[in-house]
Amino acid sequence: MGKKPTIPRLPHAFFKWYCQPGMYEEMHGDLEEFFYERAAEKGLFKARLLYLWDVLRCFQPYAWRRPASSTNAGAVMFRNYFKISLRSLMKNPLNSFINVFGLAVAIGIAVFVYAFASWTFSTDQFHEHKNEVFLVTFLADRDGTPQEYGTTPRPLGAMLREDFTHIDKVCRVEDRPVVVKYGDEVYHERVRYADPEFLDMFTFPLQSGNKASLADPNSIVLSKNMAEKYFGTEDPLGKEVLVKFDQGNGKLFKVAGVAAKFPASRTISFDFLLNFDNLQTQPNYNIHDWGATLAATFIQVDDPFNVSSVEAAMDKYIAIQNSAVQPDWAISSFAFRPLATLHETSEYIKDGISQSSRDNYMSIMFMSIVAVLMLALACLNYINIAIVSATKRLKEIGIRKTIGATRGTVVVQFLAENVLITFFAMLLGIALALGFFIRAFEGMWGFDMGFRFADTSLWIFLPAILLLTSLASGIYPALYISRFQVVNIIKGTVRFGKNNTLTRVFLALQLVFACVFITSAVTFTQNSAWLGARSWGYSQHEVLYTGLPDAQAFAQLRDALSSHPDVVSLSGSVHHLGRSEQTAVLHFPDRQYEAMELKVNARYFETMGLQLVEGRTFRENAANDWHGVVLNATLAASIAPGVPASEVLGQAFDIDSTRYEVVGVVADFHAYDLSNKIRPAFFSLADKNDYRYLTMKAKPGTEKAVYEALQGQWAPLFPETPFMGGYQEDVWGFYYEVIDIHAIVWQVVATMAILLAGLGLYGLISLNVVGRIREFSIRKVLGARLTSIATNITRRYAVLFAVALLLGAPLSYKLMNILFDAAYTFHMPIGFSGVAVAVFVLIGVLLFTVGIQVIRLRKFNPVNGLRVE
Amino acid sequence: MQRIYLGEFEELVLLTVGVLYDDAYAVAITKEVERQSDRSVNVSAVHKSLYRLEKKGMLDSRLGDPESKRGGKRKRLFNITPYGKKALDESMDLRMSLRKQIPELAFKWQTN
Repeated sequence: MGKKPTIPRLPHAFFKWYCQPGMYEEMHGDLEEFFYERAAEKGLFKARLLYLWDVLRCFQPYAWRRPASSTNAGAVMFRNYFKISLRSLMKNPLNSFINVFGLAVAIGIAVFVYAFASWTFSTDQFHEHKNEVFLVTFLADRDGTPQEYGTTPRPLGAMLREDFTHIDKVCRVEDRPVVVKYGDEVYHERVRYADPEFLDMFTFPLQSGNKASLADPNSIVLSKNMAEKYFGTEDPLGKEVLVKFDQGNGKLFKVAGVAAKFPASRTISFDFLLNFDNLQTQPNYNIHDWGATLAATFIQVDDPFNVSSVEAAMDKYIAIQNSAVQPDWAISSFAFRPLATLHETSEYIKDGISQSSRDNYMSIMFMSIVAVLMLALACLNYINIAIVSATKRLKEIGIRKTIGATRGTVVVQFLAENVLITFFAMLLGIALALGFFIRAFEGMWGFDMGFRFADTSLWIFLPAILLLTSLASGIYPALYISRFQVVNIIKGTVRFGKNNTLTRVFLALQLVFACVFITSAVTFTQNSAWLGARSWGYSQHEVLYTGLPDAQAFAQLRDALSSHPDVVSLSGSVHHLGRSEQTAVLHFPDRQYEAMELKVNARYFETMGLQLVEGRTFRENAANDWHGVVLNATLAASIAPGVPASEVLGQAFDIDSTRYEVVGVVADFHAYDLSNKIRPAFFSLADKNDYRYLTMKAKPGTEKAVYEALQGQWAPLFPETPFMGGYQEDVWGFYYEVIDIHAIVWQVVATMAILLAGLGLYGLISLNVVGRIREFSIRKVLGARLTSIATNITRRYAVLFAVALLLGAPLSYKLMNILFDAAYTFHMPIGFSGVAVAVFVLIGVLLFTVGIQVIRLRKFNPVNGLRVE
Repeated sequence: MQRIYLGEFEELVLLTVGVLYDDAYAVAITKEVERQSDRSVNVSAVHKSLYRLEKKGMLDSRLGDPESKRGGKRKRLFNITPYGKKALDESMDLRMSLRKQIPELAFKWQTN
């Protein structure tokens, strides 16, 4: 035999590592014997492979090293705790289920709220220069209160670029409605004109193309959505799309870039980007006009600290601005809002192009409260069940204490058990959150929350929740249970868990929470029906409208449609309720008001079904009505507070130094959805050369036919322009969907709350019945009827329920009022029906729970209950 | 009486230990089982069964002498205990008694 083949080193080390030292010699001897034999017979390579295979096959529990800590007393103790915990969990599957499931639901909701909050707070944080980029805003005092506006005077951007060394980049942004055409795909769109710096200042990476191409006035950059809408699977780069600015004025643009998918939470994005210079080549566009504004101007400074010095030097522009405009448009100062916090500040910036996240902050607040209450409910369940079922653990505690456990060690034991249970609950809760809460929520709203486990703060949040929950639920039972004297335990004189005051208080608290949740679910559901039925102040169901490409279109469509038998009334206007309006400042000798102005024709009131309260509407073909206005009740009331609307008639005021007189007052109407307050508004007469909207009222039931007739006329008349019409009831977009989602969310929350409270109650009552099983057996033997046993069980809880509901009902009622005033601008008057439903549901839950126990007792053989161990 | 449980492979190993009598260690057992039952066996499976059987008290073991073909390592030699024999016998008896209870008719297959 020549040189001995060597055992492969790595597998050998691995084997040495996992194998028990005592077994190493014999086992590895076997492996070596095989190895040398095979090496001689089959060759070294095969032998080595087979050796590796053997090592892997031997990697089994019988061969594993026992943990070295097995001699460590602490570890032994904790392993024992672990074992005992698992056993007691297995012993009471029902209680364990109630505890684990309850905590899981609560933790699931908490994880969901976390996901939602982190989604909201991540808004705009993906921008690389979020701290250096600022939105230019100005403050103006229009009707007594200073207001911040997100628009900027047109020439300001160019001047800022010239005048400040601290400003590195300036980007002016303007939005315009256009028609975009590529092949057969023709749609109305909004394009965003921006300076080439846009893609440098905002971090919107392009998935294809070059971001420098925005400097070319013949290029267009698309969002990913738009690229898919127009080009499908085709590669858009280099293709030419036609952008029509208005009738007969269009330009071909070459697609030079497609943006990658935008992050889900952002306040600013775009569909189409065009070079800003395209705006200046359009007729009637004067970039040097201080009187006109741009949608937004952004600056990027070299250092965020320098922005205050820029702000301080803005005074000279204020002077230029104020000398160029009417005194009522005067501004008081300029300000700069950082991009990083724009999602918070946008709420207070009027006419800003960024979206506000205020609704989300409100939701986060509400949902955090719900999550905390749910956690509280689950913890209370846990505490109650733990205290009541502690009787079963008394002997164990007694023995532990006898063999040397201090009170502290017992507390640690119970807390450790709690951490274990909460850990299980957390696993289930995360599964619930991912599989149900988050998915359902994303499905309802149609967006991706971007919840990822890779998020580092999640790994702080989860352990925090774990510790907090297990402490909150475990500390009291642990202290309570560990308190008892060994002697008393062993003697069997310790009696508790039956009439524990704290248990009762906790149960009452749970009932109060449940009452609040059920009441909110009912009230939100009712409210969403109420909002759906609420009048908008005009007949939104019979009205159809269409935007017009130009003023001649009105005459063409009117001639074609006015003879339609189902059209009751037809009118033209410059603005339209829910679609467009302008803002005007009304000057009285001593004061001024800002109001919404709608330019309409005489028939508009009739068509829309607006209700006249005082005076008259416009007369057709009346020359002097050019200076008449019709107010809404809100504006009338603020002009002349405390006097009847008839007094307002004939009052005169100036708008842009033209004199106007009030000729009528109409009832208030909702121009925008019910989450907006009713704003002061007035109507003035429209010049028919400016008509941009056509409105029609159809006979009830014929809306669809009229809509189709309108569509039918449109196609031959304006083949180049996509249809712009719609039903008036659709102008609020998905507002009603939002309201319905609120109701659904609360229904889910209430179901969970009922479930938790019901489970807790069930656990308590069943433990109570088990504890009194001897008593009930005797009663049964002596001939007690089931009804008397049922009464007996119920009596114990009747008082508790009465107290809880007496507290919970008024509290729910009060809370509903506060909640609805905070959440809705308009909501139904809060009645008692929601509270009543909650009370009935809770009483139902009690009776149901008692019923189940009574049925169990009926089948129960009293002999089993009376037998002594 | 508590039934003594023997898995099929365990029983094979137990029998083989008996067959090899004085030289029953993992490698030899593996080879013997492979040879006799004509199936491929990994030494790990034999190890597992041996240690289990020893734990159950059906096998006894001692360490042999170091050998150069094993890289100078000793081998663990197994032999059957009385309890092991009892387990084997019971298992055999059970099988035999069941086999005997099968009526001859059960093996009369119609061949038309």
